[in-house]
Amino acid sequence: MREKAEAVIIGGGVTGCGTAYSLAKKGLTDVVVLERGGLCTGASGRCGGGIRQQFTTEANIALAMESVRLFEQLSEELDTDIEYEQGGYLIIAYEDDVDQFRKNVRLQNSLGLHSRFITPAEAQEIVPLLNTDPIAGATFCQTDGHANPFRVVHGYARKAQEMGVEINKFTNVTDIVAVDGHIQAVRTDKGTVKTDTVVNAAGAHSRDIAAMVGVDLPNKPYRHEILVTEPLEHVLDPMVISFKTGIYFSQQKHGSIIGGIGDPEEPSSYNLSGSLRFLKRMARTMVELVPAFGHLNVLRQWAGLYDVTPDAQPILGWTEGVDRFCQANGYSGHGFMVAPKVTELVAELIVDGKPSMPIDDLTLSRFEGEITGEAYVVG
Amino acid sequence: MRITEHPLLSFQRKRVIHFTFNGGPLEAYEGETIAAALHAAGIKVLSRSITYSRPRGFFCAIGKCASCMMNVNGVPNVKTCVTLVEEGMVVESQHKGVLKPFTGPKKSHISHMKTQVAVIGAGPAGLNAAVTAHAYGASVLVIDENPHAGGQLVKQTHKFFGSSRERAGTRGTEIAKILYREAESFVMLQAAVVGHYNDRGHRLVLVKDGTLAELEAEKVIVATGASENMLLFENNDLPGVYGAGAVQTLMNVYGIVPGNSVLMVGAGNVGLIVSYQLLQAGVKVVGVVEALPRIGGYHVHAAKVRRCGVPIYTSTSILKALGEEYVTGAVTVSLDKDWNHIPGTERKFDVDTICLAVGLSPSIEFFCQAGCRIAHIPELGGNTPVHSPAMETTVKGMYAAGDAAGIGEANTAMMEGKIAALSCVKALGLSTLETEKESKESYEELRLLRSGSFGERARQGKERVFAIMEELHE
Ligand SMILES: Cc1cc2nc3c(=O)[nH]c(=O)nc-3n(C[C@H](O)[C@H](O)[C@H](O)COP(=O)(O)OP(=O)(O)OC[C@H]3O[C@@H](n4cnc5c(N)ncnc54)[C@H](O)[C@@H]3O)c2cc1C
Ligand code: FES
Repeated sequence: MREKAEAVIIGGGVTGCGTAYSLAKKGLTDVVVLERGGLCTGASGRCGGGIRQQFTTEANIALAMESVRLFEQLSEELDTDIEYEQGGYLIIAYEDDVDQFRKNVRLQNSLGLHSRFITPAEAQEIVPLLNTDPIAGATFCQTDGHANPFRVVHGYARKAQEMGVEINKFTNVTDIVAVDGHIQAVRTDKGTVKTDTVVNAAGAHSRDIAAMVGVDLPNKPYRHEILVTEPLEHVLDPMVISFKTGIYFSQQKHGSIIGGIGDPEEPSSYNLSGSLRFLKRMARTMVELVPAFGHLNVLRQWAGLYDVTPDAQPILGWTEGVDRFCQANGYSGHGFMVAPKVTELVAELIVDGKPSMPIDDLTLSRFEGEITGEAYVVG
Repeated sequence: MRITEHPLLSFQRKRVIHFTFNGGPLEAYEGETIAAALHAAGIKVLSRSITYSRPRGFFCAIGKCASCMMNVNGVPNVKTCVTLVEEGMVVESQHKGVLKPFTGPKKSHISHMKTQVAVIGAGPAGLNAAVTAHAYGASVLVIDENPHAGGQLVKQTHKFFGSSRERAGTRGTEIAKILYREAESFVMLQAAVVGHYNDRGHRLVLVKDGTLAELEAEKVIVATGASENMLLFENNDLPGVYGAGAVQTLMNVYGIVPGNSVLMVGAGNVGLIVSYQLLQAGVKVVGVVEALPRIGGYHVHAAKVRRCGVPIYTSTSILKALGEEYVTGAVTVSLDKDWNHIPGTERKFDVDTICLAVGLSPSIEFFCQAGCRIAHIPELGGNTPVHSPAMETTVKGMYAAGDAAGIGEANTAMMEGKIAALSCVKALGLSTLETEKESKESYEELRLLRSGSFGERARQGKERVFAIMEELHE
């Protein structure tokens, strides 16, 4: 492990590896990534891979739209097929969702996003297997989609390494040494790296990392469960989701359906085990929307952690009180889809001192005043 | 491909059944699985792989590898090696699963069952465990996805060695019948346990006839057996490359030969016994190759095979399988003392079957799902659940028995099943004056079974497992 580096990134998920890549691309290659497990073993390797732009706050919509622009060229840029597909996101609207959804579409349209409100019949044209009985309509955006997170993370990591970044796996960060608000070094179970700049991309463990320098993050971990079915012929283009039931599912390139469902009764914890309750709720809700899936066998289920902030938006940028301590966490369940742009902005902040898009609304200090949150939380 | 004459076995074929394969009519006998019936009709390529469109046939024939999946009556990805063929069935090859319209209820219904002791797997370990627990008055349910009870015993036509009072000298096929007769009323066949959950005790989820059921159990004995190891060589996925257990199942359960001429890979007991069984069924065995410089199995088994004119090539491995759609030949190569191929020693065999008898690995999925501590114990076949001499794992109330607890053989599996059941009986407060005595006898019997030089590896493996368990307790 290098003894010193210009910047240390904690976490080898999509944020950590993406930031490493973005920094290297901007010429900063004296960078060390520290990951306590293997790459992509946190939320990134456990997520649904969904990429959507249909959000309800301007900040999230902008980040997501910019990210989609980057995802569109990422396979070429990383020399690897990230299995990116723009089959759209079909957001199911139930009767009492309709008014709000129409408003959301108007906001999205005003920011240049081509989302639209559609009828149940139109929804069925997009998903022929859909049971439209319980639904009142949907919103749809064709340029939403999904990609394979493993390919994205490993693609970022490989390119970053080729440019000179050092990635240390199975290296647990145990402490950050700071004197008078200035970072001196990062300690790990494998040795110490001297640095004055740290990016906190430790996902659901970011709060622990921040605590090492006395910074209190409001993030809380929540278990989210997800499953994969056996592969089948291509029957589903878009990601289908509903904020009412909390379900989301899409079909991957190799044919499997991957999907999950949020649970309002889930307490905050680091629990990563799979539950029967999830399996039942998921099966019931999915089969109600797509009855033909009643034939499918589930291959595996697993869980990952959402890193949830009070307003369900990420925490990005410098931290008051500790110089050059950059936050890149708190994605609240949608960190994969915004990673390309977020990591670019973080790199700009570190190298140029100023990101190309304002992120003032997303810094930690926003929690001091009143907060307005993201209403669309799931996949 | 059906065996008509056999020195030991007689096959009473039942009613003729009609079904279709890719649109064409075929016949089978009642009691045959789809994969067996197709094989009997000379059909080896069942489906094609999803990504590279490679031909796929069966490999394990006991529901463990998913190599035999086909579309059956419009339902994709059916494991045809454990699904019985039925009158009028529509069987189709698949590339990717294809969905038919779903006519079932739109809301899934899950039924609920309760038992004191749930046993996963109806092999020798599971059946003996169930019979033992039942004798003490515990409510018991044994679940197995195969259409036949008895696990690997149902295909073992040889007489048993070992010291077991009751079973020595009896053929495995007979032992399976005796055990099943005792346990039949609490065995559920063609039902697959697909998950274990620790919420509020032990909860198993099972699939039977396409519907889900939830089984709440106070104790779970996992006796899921083992899966056969694959070897790395060119074309190892061609139909015609079969596990030794699959070949045994095909021959000894269904009376169907795997092919006309076979190359056996592995000269341990399984490889030798199956070679001999192939010869008994009238199949040509061109040779047995063994990577080790010596034969691993019992001398008597090797001598029998040699007497039939089958050469055993030690320090030799398989290099590749030949053929496009299925096996048409095999190439072997000699190995030097460092396991490297010796160029120029390649030898080509014209065979239609390559049988792999290269060891087994414990089926540990449920232990993993439940969060049991797993240890890598090469003497026991690799990853093994850590357990106590009483067969309890590191998860309270979950027990292991038989090959799932480390590869052994049928006698030790039966004893482990019994010990696991006695532990459950004690924990459930159902012990009688007899229990302690029976326990002691079982431990002693197990010790004797493993006392010979052939039991040594397993004995060492078990000692390592027990030591880890003890360490954890301290
Ligand atoms: C079930 C589920 C489904 C989801 N679906 C979607 C979706 O469809 N679309 C979407 O955009 N988002 C989705 N998300 C959210 C998304 O996965 C996350 O927001 C995103 O992956 C976060 O990436 P990350 O790199 O910031 O964090 P992570 O991927 O969690 O990476 C953090 C890394 O930091 C490491 N680390 C922690 N502590 C230390 C330490 N002390 N020392 C060293 N290393 C440490 C961890 O091991 C981990 O690898 C989903 C999440 C879950 C759980
Ligand atoms: S599962 Fe059927 S051959 Fe293995």
